[in-house]
Amino acid sequence: MKKMFTTTAALMMALSLIGCGNSASSEDTTATASTEETVVEETATEETSTEEASSEESDLAYVQEKGTLVVGLTDFAPMDYKDEDGEWVGFDADMAKAFAESLGVSVEFVEIDWDNKIMELDGKTIDCVWNGMTLTDEVKSAMDCSNAYCNNAQVVIVPADVADNYQDTESLAELTFAVEAGSAGEAEATALGLNFTPVKAQSDALMEIAAGTSDAAIIDSLMAAAMVGEGTGYADLTYTIGLNSEEYGVGFRKGSDLTAKLNEFFAASYADGTMMECAKTYGVQAAVVEQ
Amino acid sequence: MELILEQLPIVIHALNIGFLQTLKLFFVTLIGAIPLGLVIAFGSMSRFKPLSYLTKIIVWIVRGTPLMIQLLIIYYFPGLVLGNPIWGGGETGRFLAASVSFILNYACYFSEIYRGGIQGVPVGQTEAGLVLGMTKTQIFFKVKLLQMIKRIVPPMSNEIITLVKDTSLARIIALQEIIWAGQAFMKGSQGISGAIWPLFFTAVYYLICNGILTLLFGRLEKKLDYFR
Amino acid sequence: MSILEVEHIQKSFEHTEVLKDISFSLEKGQVLSIIGSSGSGKTTLLRCLNFLERPDSGIIRVNGESLFDSSASSRKNEAEIRKKRLHFGLVFQSFNLFPQYTALQNVMLARELLAKEQPDYKSRKKEIHQEIEAQAEILLKQMGLADRMQNYPHQLSGGQCQRVAIARALALQPDILCFDEPTSALDPELTGEVLKVIKELADTKTTMIIVTHEMAFARDVADHVIFMDDGCILEQGNPIDVMEHPKEERTKQFLARFTQG
Repeated sequence: MKKMFTTTAALMMALSLIGCGNSASSEDTTATASTEETVVEETATEETSTEEASSEESDLAYVQEKGTLVVGLTDFAPMDYKDEDGEWVGFDADMAKAFAESLGVSVEFVEIDWDNKIMELDGKTIDCVWNGMTLTDEVKSAMDCSNAYCNNAQVVIVPADVADNYQDTESLAELTFAVEAGSAGEAEATALGLNFTPVKAQSDALMEIAAGTSDAAIIDSLMAAAMVGEGTGYADLTYTIGLNSEEYGVGFRKGSDLTAKLNEFFAASYADGTMMECAKTYGVQAAVVEQ
Repeated sequence: MELILEQLPIVIHALNIGFLQTLKLFFVTLIGAIPLGLVIAFGSMSRFKPLSYLTKIIVWIVRGTPLMIQLLIIYYFPGLVLGNPIWGGGETGRFLAASVSFILNYACYFSEIYRGGIQGVPVGQTEAGLVLGMTKTQIFFKVKLLQMIKRIVPPMSNEIITLVKDTSLARIIALQEIIWAGQAFMKGSQGISGAIWPLFFTAVYYLICNGILTLLFGRLEKKLDYFR
Repeated sequence: MSILEVEHIQKSFEHTEVLKDISFSLEKGQVLSIIGSSGSGKTTLLRCLNFLERPDSGIIRVNGESLFDSSASSRKNEAEIRKKRLHFGLVFQSFNLFPQYTALQNVMLARELLAKEQPDYKSRKKEIHQEIEAQAEILLKQMGLADRMQNYPHQLSGGQCQRVAIARALALQPDILCFDEPTSALDPELTGEVLKVIKELADTKTTMIIVTHEMAFARDVADHVIFMDDGCILEQGNPIDVMEHPKEERTKQFLARFTQG
């Protein structure tokens, strides 16, 4: 019976953790200060520690010990997508491969449910989120983020035949919007006081317009470039005005020493031109941020 | 229309791969949950009270919470709370975690169906067996089992058809089953983006699969129709 | 020596005493009828003899061998009890045939399972099976069911079912065959065919204990009658004495209801 009780208590704990992924990671920030000492100790601390000790361990040491950097991503051209052979490619994917190589580990790409990215990260089923992630306040508070490496904007998507009517923010008030829940687009819609419905994904927002259940959507410009307009599945849609500018970054666990490593790597590869070269392959060179 | 015809081979190929995952999860769940359910059923009918209470509490928890939450807990709990991500981040780990969740969940539902089936066999059948000098084991396998199976076929077929559709819940831990595969074309995958129809097309797979299952269960019911 | 001796059997459920100090004996080849109103403990007594209930105290002996003795409290294991209960056969009120087996299979099943425990079973498998089948066919023919052997219970009438059940009990060749109100679940017109079969068994000197409400039948077929009331044996003796010249007031009342009705 006692065991039963502890199990139930543990389950409750897990539920509350899942309920607010942020609070769990904020605990870890206390570990940041001690990171330097743990690096020294890293050879002594084995991975076997199943208790609290794990939060004091160096993330770099953890990744190097297991020999793989697990990158959480979604199918998001041109940043991350699969080529004909089923290999992950894209600006983000290629950079992640190079970064892992610089750490001396192999890279493993894992497709995740975008809603669960913080849980995946804190639960150590992935080591970083590298997937054209907009650096919002929420993201920055829940993860340890790298320097921005790419510019992006939120753009308004409307059917092409009425696009001329919606070229300024005032005209948007009469439309109903679909935006991805928790996205930068939703933040913009809220800020402008627009009438909107939150949906599960940016792609769902586009489907809402196509299905006529919403008049318009707000999504990432990089995504819009790839998904709407002639030659895409949404040939009848187009994008009009940009609402803000924002930046992409890579997310690590709170207090991770990998963040600094990645910033160093970004600076080096920007300096030697490899970053730009990679960006050109995927046509995003104009958006790359100087490191 | 022409566009769809052009996309069809790529989409079908991706959906087939997704559906293979769906089927894999479906069969693994059946193989695990059908016997485990029997163990749980016997546990809850045990005359040893602590065991009976324990299994009843487990059944209550598992049936009383959404499968989606169970998936999240089983997959993320070890890494989040214990700091030890036992499943790992890869596809195999996600599939294992999903299998464990589904087997546990469905075993609990099955156990209640079994319990009803076993208790529904008249006590006179056991007594007749005892009086004829049979052992308890012989009575279970030679007398009661088939009668129990006959009783549980309709509720089990119901539950198993639900299982086919429930496998889609596993995408919450990013198991790439058929709905995930269909949705991928909305966001963009393999050069096709903004295609909505693949998602709806997945329904055809479920329909065919459940059609076959319905036929099989109908045949089984008919086969057991020879006695009452 | 009597084939069956029952001494001082007592049995309570919760706080109700169902059997109070029951003692009687039965000779080989005789038929014992137990009569009495519902709830008088007749069925419980039969169930005790067949080990479906465990008496709280008392002794049961068959052929002088003690099958149950509450004072020798050694806990019997399942195998021993199985062996002992084979001295008795029991025919239930509600038949309890196995619905998934044919009439023939119902009669054969228990013997086939027992045969598997024989050391020479593997080498003589086919032979044993044929023996068992032949015996089952003879029994069913004896019950007048020669053309019903391949039928399933739900395809048979109540009377036919009960005759299959009797054949099933006889297949194990029990020393004593018990009947628990064998005709109570039957329509009146089907009762006769079952009683006829039991009568034939009595004529061939089968030792039987019959709990029944068929008074005329009990008087006809029984060598000995026990009248039970409220867990006690109130009166016993040969049928003529007990049923036509009862000594006890309670017995007279009980019998009066049947002769009137």
